[in-house]
Amino acid sequence: MNRWLRAALIAGATAAVGCFVWSSWPPQGYVPVEISFAVVGLSFMVAGIAAWQRWPASRLGLLFTIVGYLYLVPVILGNLANPVAWTIGYPAGGIYGAALAQLGLAWPGGRMRSRFERGVIVADYAVNIAFNTAATMFWNPAFSGCNASCPANVLLIRSSRPTWNAINTVEALIGFVITGIVLTLIVRHWRSARGWSRRAMMPLLWIAPAVGAEQILTGNLFHFSATVTYALLPLVLLAGPALFVISTVRARTAGGALGTAIVDLEPGASPGRLKDALARALGDSTLQLAFRQPGGSGYLDTGGQAVDADRPDNGRAVVPIAGSDGAVLVYDEGLELEPQLVKLTAAAASMALEHARLQAEVQAQLEQVRASRARIVEAGDAERRRLERDLHDGAQQRLVMLSLALGMARDRAAGADPELEALITSAGKEAREALTELRELARGIHPAVLTETGLAGAIQALVERSPVAVTITAVPDERFPAAIEATAYFVVSEALANVAKHAMADGAQVTIRGLPGRLVIEVSDDGAGGARAEGGSGLRGLADRVASVGGVLRVDSPPGRGTRLEADLPCP
Amino acid sequence: MSVTPGAAAPGRPRLRVVIAEDAVLLREGLRRVLTDAGLDVTGMAGDADHLLQLVSASRPDVVLTDIRMPPAQSTEGLQAALEIRRRWPGTPVIVLSQHVETEHLFELLAGDPRGIGYVLKERVADIAQFTDAIRRVAAGESVIDPQVVSRLVARPRRDSPLQTLTERELAVLGLMAEGRSNHAIAAQLFMSPKTVETHVGNLFAKLGLLPGAEDHRRVLAVLTYLRG
Repeated sequence: MNRWLRAALIAGATAAVGCFVWSSWPPQGYVPVEISFAVVGLSFMVAGIAAWQRWPASRLGLLFTIVGYLYLVPVILGNLANPVAWTIGYPAGGIYGAALAQLGLAWPGGRMRSRFERGVIVADYAVNIAFNTAATMFWNPAFSGCNASCPANVLLIRSSRPTWNAINTVEALIGFVITGIVLTLIVRHWRSARGWSRRAMMPLLWIAPAVGAEQILTGNLFHFSATVTYALLPLVLLAGPALFVISTVRARTAGGALGTAIVDLEPGASPGRLKDALARALGDSTLQLAFRQPGGSGYLDTGGQAVDADRPDNGRAVVPIAGSDGAVLVYDEGLELEPQLVKLTAAAASMALEHARLQAEVQAQLEQVRASRARIVEAGDAERRRLERDLHDGAQQRLVMLSLALGMARDRAAGADPELEALITSAGKEAREALTELRELARGIHPAVLTETGLAGAIQALVERSPVAVTITAVPDERFPAAIEATAYFVVSEALANVAKHAMADGAQVTIRGLPGRLVIEVSDDGAGGARAEGGSGLRGLADRVASVGGVLRVDSPPGRGTRLEADLPCP
Repeated sequence: MSVTPGAAAPGRPRLRVVIAEDAVLLREGLRRVLTDAGLDVTGMAGDADHLLQLVSASRPDVVLTDIRMPPAQSTEGLQAALEIRRRWPGTPVIVLSQHVETEHLFELLAGDPRGIGYVLKERVADIAQFTDAIRRVAAGESVIDPQVVSRLVARPRRDSPLQTLTERELAVLGLMAEGRSNHAIAAQLFMSPKTVETHVGNLFAKLGLLPGAEDHRRVLAVLTYLRG
């Protein structure tokens, strides 16, 4: 809104109220009536300025302003006690009602929706002006009891209260019909509106009947006391500016709700959930989030519906989402009045999509790292298997052969050369020692029994060689993927080694259970406890090894109450 | 029964042995050693299939096979041994293992422990002992490598009746687990067979095992007890 316009509007409103107070000073009539006039008129003017400011492109500000002036100016003119002013002001006293109807029909977009509706409003203005002018011709200002101070009625042709009354009654009847039509139209607007517009229509749906009732009750069909008719009932009109306040508060609330919705959105939420959260926060249930289809030019929304983002349907509008590679939001056109809110929604969507994209990227990278770690571990395992096999087929076989040859040599030397025999015997012993050491070495590198017979045999072997008494509670007999078996074996082997080294335990227990989709390994002892997964202990390496197959290692080791180690491995 | 190691009993046909071992040099060495010791090596195989063919063709008195053999270098020899026992029940088989672990041993003993030997490969160096093992297995005894047994006996245990055994009884238990008969145990521990029987009765009672089992049955019973 341009600041000259704003200055002019503020000056106008100030002047109008100033004139009103000046023209009615000292209060000739009834003070509450004067106050009611001033409050209602001023509130429409202020709402007009604010609405103009908020929706510069809409006519709503203008309409509020018009209502304000049409409400107040005739009263000022009437107060002036000048014949011309009075004669203009008196018949114009009810025209604001037509402007109110126009405001109601133009809500919330600021434009009339059809030629028929424009016709209704034009008729309303015309009936108002025509009948009031006609009635004025029969109205003697003295009827109001002003006596000497009465302004002259320039239009007066015949002083006849019954005629004036009859004309006013006919006008009130026609006004009753027009009010009914306008209310019906408003209800139809509400029914046909969707999304944001429907929500925007909602307060009007409550306010319009009240204002309509006020118009009918203050017309010539009913007669209440002056206080009711001129001071109390007009206060109902304050619902008009209230409509503006409500819509402003709603938009503000929606802005805040958008922020909250984005913060509350769970990480990795689907576009569908994002759309739902935005729609809920914004108050536009028709909001669509659509993505450009790769290759083609079409868009699909989160529900899989084709969306024409270049030529949106009637009543719809489109905003692109920055940095999203062709995603758009399609929303109810009524929101065009709230560009700030649309911008905010698009920014929120952009942020959420970007976040989701980054998260997917990180997830993918993590997946890659995970896969590569698993591959490294598997390659290590394979290398160890190969080493063990090489030792077995190479050095071990050669040492066996050497032992055999030494045995034969000793048999030859037996009796013939005792010294040589003793020498060969000791060489044979050395060879056997070397074989034993080599066997232990090879087993440490990779337990052949694991690949050959599976977990049951390998765990049994571990238990047999443990320096601590170990009981096996359960071990499944079936085979599992090599990486899982190797990890399970590693867990038990490391755990038992730790029990032997640190736990000062009398005994330990090994339980391996195959559950649907996973393998759970549990090693517990009755030792000193206090083992910690952090720090440079073997438990760190164990946790890494377990994680390499996507498993979880839990260590429960309260000081003095033993250690319980549980590895949970995913197992297809 | 006891056989003098290193020589064929006079007047008896020489034991016919089939050897399966994929390392050529070792296979040849074994053949020489066994032939020198008075055994008749009637066939040699480098893999399990060939071994089965040889056994099928010559029905040897005893089969000697390495556990790991081509093609997968896994437990082909063990599988072949089990297959031989299945197809020709009672055929004496000795497997040569590089594992002191008992998994394979129990697989082998599970059916009928008579005429089964489980010997660590390095045992071949002590030729006299090795040929003795072959003869014992051929005669239907069970032969379990002493190192395998000693590991089982030495396992740490909690609240086990084993802890109540005397040193003598433990020695007897170990020899039983190796597949020795009461006579052989008596000879080895310089006891009278009567004393051995007493020890056996006592330790069986302490361990809660059924007394009076035949030699080959008690091997399995004792080993199972030690392993459990």
